[in-house]
Amino acid sequence: MFNGLYIHFPVLAVMVLFLGAFLVVIFGTHAKNLRRVIAITAATISFALIYALIKPVMLDGEVISYWMGNWEPISGYALGIGYEIDGLNLFFALLVEATILLSGLYSLRYMERDDYLDRYYTLYLMLSGAVLGLVLTGDLFNMFVMIEIMTFAAVALTAFRNWTAGALEASFKYLVVGSAGSSFVLAGTILIYAQCHTLNMAQISSMLCGSQGLTPTTLLAFGLLFTGYGVKSYIVPFHPTAADAYTAAPTSVSMLFSGMVNKAGVYAMIRMAYVIFQAMGIPAVQTLLVLIGTVTMFVGVTMALAQHDFKRLLAFHSISQIGYVITAIGLGTALGLTSGLFHAMNHTLFKGLLFLCAGAVLYSTGTTSLDKLGGLSKKMPKTTILFLIGAFSISGLPPFNGFASKWMIYQSTYAKAMETNNIGFAFVTIVALVVSVMTLASFIKVTQSVFFGQVTPAAANAKEVPFAMRLPMWIMAIACVLGGVFYDKVLVWLLNPAASAALNVTNYIDKMMGDGYAATAGVQNIEAHGATLSFWNPVMWLILFVVVFFAVGLVVVFGKGTRGKVLEESEGQEIEAKYDSFFGGEKALPSHLGGSDLFWGFKHNWKGYFHFMQRMHSGVVNDYALWAVVGGAFVILYTFVFLR
Amino acid sequence: MEILIALVRILIYPGLLFVAVGGLLLAGIDRILVAKMQRRVGPPLVQPFYDFFKLMGKETIIPHHANRTAYLAAPVIAVVSLAVTMLFIPLGGFSAVSGTADLIVVLYLLTIPAVCVIVGGSASGSPYAGVGISREMVAMMSYELPLVMVLLAVAKKVGSLSLQAIVAYQFQNGCMLFHWSMIPAAIALLLVIPGEAGVQPFDLAEAETEICEGTLAEYSGAPLGMFELNHAMKIFVLTALFTALFLGGIDTGIVPLNVVITFVICGVLVWLCCSLPHAICARLRIERLFKFYWTIVAGLAALSLVLAWFGL
Repeated sequence: MFNGLYIHFPVLAVMVLFLGAFLVVIFGTHAKNLRRVIAITAATISFALIYALIKPVMLDGEVISYWMGNWEPISGYALGIGYEIDGLNLFFALLVEATILLSGLYSLRYMERDDYLDRYYTLYLMLSGAVLGLVLTGDLFNMFVMIEIMTFAAVALTAFRNWTAGALEASFKYLVVGSAGSSFVLAGTILIYAQCHTLNMAQISSMLCGSQGLTPTTLLAFGLLFTGYGVKSYIVPFHPTAADAYTAAPTSVSMLFSGMVNKAGVYAMIRMAYVIFQAMGIPAVQTLLVLIGTVTMFVGVTMALAQHDFKRLLAFHSISQIGYVITAIGLGTALGLTSGLFHAMNHTLFKGLLFLCAGAVLYSTGTTSLDKLGGLSKKMPKTTILFLIGAFSISGLPPFNGFASKWMIYQSTYAKAMETNNIGFAFVTIVALVVSVMTLASFIKVTQSVFFGQVTPAAANAKEVPFAMRLPMWIMAIACVLGGVFYDKVLVWLLNPAASAALNVTNYIDKMMGDGYAATAGVQNIEAHGATLSFWNPVMWLILFVVVFFAVGLVVVFGKGTRGKVLEESEGQEIEAKYDSFFGGEKALPSHLGGSDLFWGFKHNWKGYFHFMQRMHSGVVNDYALWAVVGGAFVILYTFVFLR
Repeated sequence: MEILIALVRILIYPGLLFVAVGGLLLAGIDRILVAKMQRRVGPPLVQPFYDFFKLMGKETIIPHHANRTAYLAAPVIAVVSLAVTMLFIPLGGFSAVSGTADLIVVLYLLTIPAVCVIVGGSASGSPYAGVGISREMVAMMSYELPLVMVLLAVAKKVGSLSLQAIVAYQFQNGCMLFHWSMIPAAIALLLVIPGEAGVQPFDLAEAETEICEGTLAEYSGAPLGMFELNHAMKIFVLTALFTALFLGGIDTGIVPLNVVITFVICGVLVWLCCSLPHAICARLRIERLFKFYWTIVAGLAALSLVLAWFGL
């Protein structure tokens, strides 16, 4: 009955979101519930439209091409704007849609105390539509337009709670650095257009890699686009604005940022490096991506160790995890790409969950400062469990999903190291493993200072958050567990189609430009040497789960334990602000008191590095803009030196 | 049937029961050896069993500030995860479960007990535990780097991240310990074991004299017993891992005899990396511990890694 109808779904999904944004403006200014209904309906319809594409695209391996206004290519030249959905787009679109819907559900209660909510929902839908459009489009300039909408909606949302300290400042930084990134993208797009006289990505791909090869102009365009998309995915050295923006934005928006905005940047990088330029076979490009990815993951996690604000800590972890993704996709192997995509997906799930936990803490206590919070596990037991699931997932403890993807990443980096006999990749594996331990350590710090310990005054009146807020958290937590246990299913249903779509460039070109187009242009698929991956038996894990739950349940339910009594003298007394001896972060960094810092033993040995990092993250927007420009210059220089 | 076999493996051999009994025996050996070196008589070999069963029967007190679920669940998860780790380690040449990259699985499973100690201590809400957590975490970051490098060095030498392949390689080419390029890595792993198991001089997290057992300060009764068991099991698992990595080529043709030999080697290793340092060293400071692991031990491991890379 719906045969063939689904080719309209992608464009409708984007339109529904933008339409929702305008409807909220028109009807939702005073009608409180109407605007909620509009926003959630738009998000749900869009969600359903994209998830309906799993069957044809992921399982049947179709590629949907859609020409707006039916402007099909004329004598081999693409004129109109085209949408092209293969496994890779759809994979990212699925992540984007899940983030949109869950964040929307969470916003309903979370944002209820704010004013001007019509603007919030408008911007939220604009941001969602822009990211979805960016991911689905097959047109380079359309991509730039979507990046612009995305950046400005994101800037406005960052400043939404503009009465809080730092919100305006953060959004201004975001604006400056984000615009610099957009300018890089625009410049790159212009150069490509000048060279190829077309903006369709499939056609550009066939032209750049077929007859012409890489000319100096296209090399420069590569450097510019790489930098521009790098800014959008917040890799080092473009990251410091991200930390500020994630902290200042409302938490449901922080989740959007880490769940889909930086994934859009990652998607654009994959699309550019694998498909448009087909550059992943070149060792120099692999080295560039792996180098930047490794630096990103290390800088992100070490900065996170120094934080003393819940959301800021999560922001730095976002940066660090994107480093893993970039490293994995930079390997240029099928296994690397698959594991990178898997980690991107897992990052969306567990980081979304963690941000929502931070939001729940903020909602019920009014602060996210690690120094002030404490003992929330007694007040908010359900949030504590959710947080622990998220924390174990991001730290990569088996059997959660973070473990499965990290495990694949280590395998792929080490396989690459053995294959190329390059000790550099072994070093990358070591860094990745150590970063994972540091991630764990930093989340233990959060667990210890927010959820366990004694109840602090700030947390004294906290209450469990309403079910409407916990629902999206539960969905993500369950997905975290299922993704770790049944990762072979995820691999077959989602990741393999996505990875093979990225590697199958000729198919991408042919579906858009007509059969045989790629062959006439002389395009060949990238040769990706993928190591084969075998699984261990998930039944084993299931049994293990049963055993653990049985054992724990037995102990917890029947374990007879007498509650310790509070000693007489401390009863009725106001408890001191925790044991304020061992908390602190950046500001406590120069202190020589060993006890004032949870990671003192570590930081003491690295004090040069930490002092340097503290100086670098000055908070001055001029510095950050300089970083972005220097980063861009480095990438362009590198491109010209090593890719010629 | 598959489920039944898996359950037997997890619960009896080579899982929970086997590791628990073996670990407690090794703990007994350790105590006797330390006593001998300190010119004491020492407890009987089965003293850890007495201790364990006595603790199981004692009253469990949950501190007022504690989170009950996490406080009680942490020791159980620690013990179960160690039992599972043993499934991946080849004993006498064969592991119960094998996969392509189980070396990394083992690495991660080995972090879970430490995390459980931290979470449990954290959940108890005690300030002493707070200090213990801080130390345990830094210690974890310290020994993880050399451990990773040792594992990768061995993996490079063999060309596979699979433990089964590593043992098979040793059957063919002789024990890893007798390849001279791997000797620094073996020494590094010997130095990692006491750190990972938290025995003196690396027992900062549980320093009785300074911070009252640190992470375990509030624990009593059965959960404390579980943590003691966890400690004993961890020593067994780590020494068994060393045996598999560096002495995996010993083969008599009879699997049970191989397992017995493995256990004897574990006993010798316990003397070398637990009893000996315990008897002769004083406790380190935390930043010294970090420095020690990231310079000397990591340097040894890196030496092996580089040598392996050049095909030596």
